Amino acid sequence: MADYENRPPPEGINVSPTHPLKDFALLVGGISALVVVAVLALSLLAGQLARHIPFAHERALAGQLGRWLPAEPVSAVERQRRQYLQALAERLAQGMEMPPEMTLTVHYSAQPTINALATLGGHIVVFQGLIDTLPSENALAMVLAHEIAHVRHRHPVVAMGRGFAVLLAVASLSGVGDGSLQQWLGGIGMLPVLSFSRAQEEEADAAALQAVLRTYGHVGDAAAFFEHVARAPLAREPLAIFSSHPGHAERIARIRDFAARHSQVDTPPVALPAFMKGD
Amino acid sequence: MYDLILFLFLLLLGYVFGQRAEKRHFRSIIEREAQLGDILVFSERKIPDEAACEGILVAGSVVVSVDYFKRFVADLRNFFGGRVSAYESLLERARREAVLRMKEAARRKGADSVWNLRLETASIYKGAAGSVGAVEVIAYGTAVRQRR
Repeated sequence: MADYENRPPPEGINVSPTHPLKDFALLVGGISALVVVAVLALSLLAGQLARHIPFAHERALAGQLGRWLPAEPVSAVERQRRQYLQALAERLAQGMEMPPEMTLTVHYSAQPTINALATLGGHIVVFQGLIDTLPSENALAMVLAHEIAHVRHRHPVVAMGRGFAVLLAVASLSGVGDGSLQQWLGGIGMLPVLSFSRAQEEEADAAALQAVLRTYGHVGDAAAFFEHVARAPLAREPLAIFSSHPGHAERIARIRDFAARHSQVDTPPVALPAFMKGD
Repeated sequence: MYDLILFLFLLLLGYVFGQRAEKRHFRSIIEREAQLGDILVFSERKIPDEAACEGILVAGSVVVSVDYFKRFVADLRNFFGGRVSAYESLLERARREAVLRMKEAARRKGADSVWNLRLETASIYKGAAGSVGAVEVIAYGTAVRQRR
């Protein structure tokens, strides 16, 4: 028996020396990165597919937006304002190579919100708050043309497709949120989901400038809205919808640059009709 | 949201207590291994000088539970493959503890060596959903003492 012995093996030979938290961080980081890339790819793909949805289908889908859109105004002056906006939109659309099946419906809201938005089915909402900040019809035309350009380039339906893909991916990954998905499909909360990417905003800006140039022969006052927003203290008006928009300074610079490159005809801007001014 | 908070709380709880328990266990294992160093252990089946000895079956078993943190890290490991280091230290502890308990049993029997050592590992819960896994390791062998 004296020939036998147990030599203790060195400590730690059976365990990898990595710190458990480092292991954890690497794994969580790796999986998060994979998920983010997959969801992003899925949403881009969905956006590409959504572009091919016929406009008629988009309009039908937009039927569910009803409660989000301002109701048809009752007072005569507000109806007059809506008709004016609709006429202006159609005039601008003539210079924008709209596909024949595409229709525009402009809604007027008396709310003081400084905003205008485009959503599914060619619905555009203009708020009185916005109109009150604008010095001329040209400035209003620029904002309106920007929203029309969103419709023209199918941005709302692309944004919907992307939002839908992200929501579906998150819901199926987390295994919860069936309720919220149904809500979304039901059209509730559809509007807040639609946010456009920076590239889409820039595309809309470029198209809008072209349209304003074709309609008026110059792009004077085009930057007026962004100049106003840049001046306004942000706390007063939460411009949530504008969070994805390119920086105002950058936009103003781009519009001014465009104006400088296109021979500025010295035509004064067209004044807004008297009935457009808020009470 | 509450699910997420609960999850992070469990993760933190698992990490803090799991790591503390593991460190303390390893300290105790190393200490007791030194104490029981005089009881020799061999996997050899053939006992030398067999006629002068008497053999008794001894066993030591241990069940160790996985903490929430280790479980989570190991689940993530399933995606990428590679060493599941979270479980490596767990099984190392279980094996050494089982051998120690077997040695203690041998000492109580008055033996000074254990031959034909065998280790067996069994998973309790077998990956049942929602349960925290635990692992059993049993060490057994033939304790040998001089025939009186």
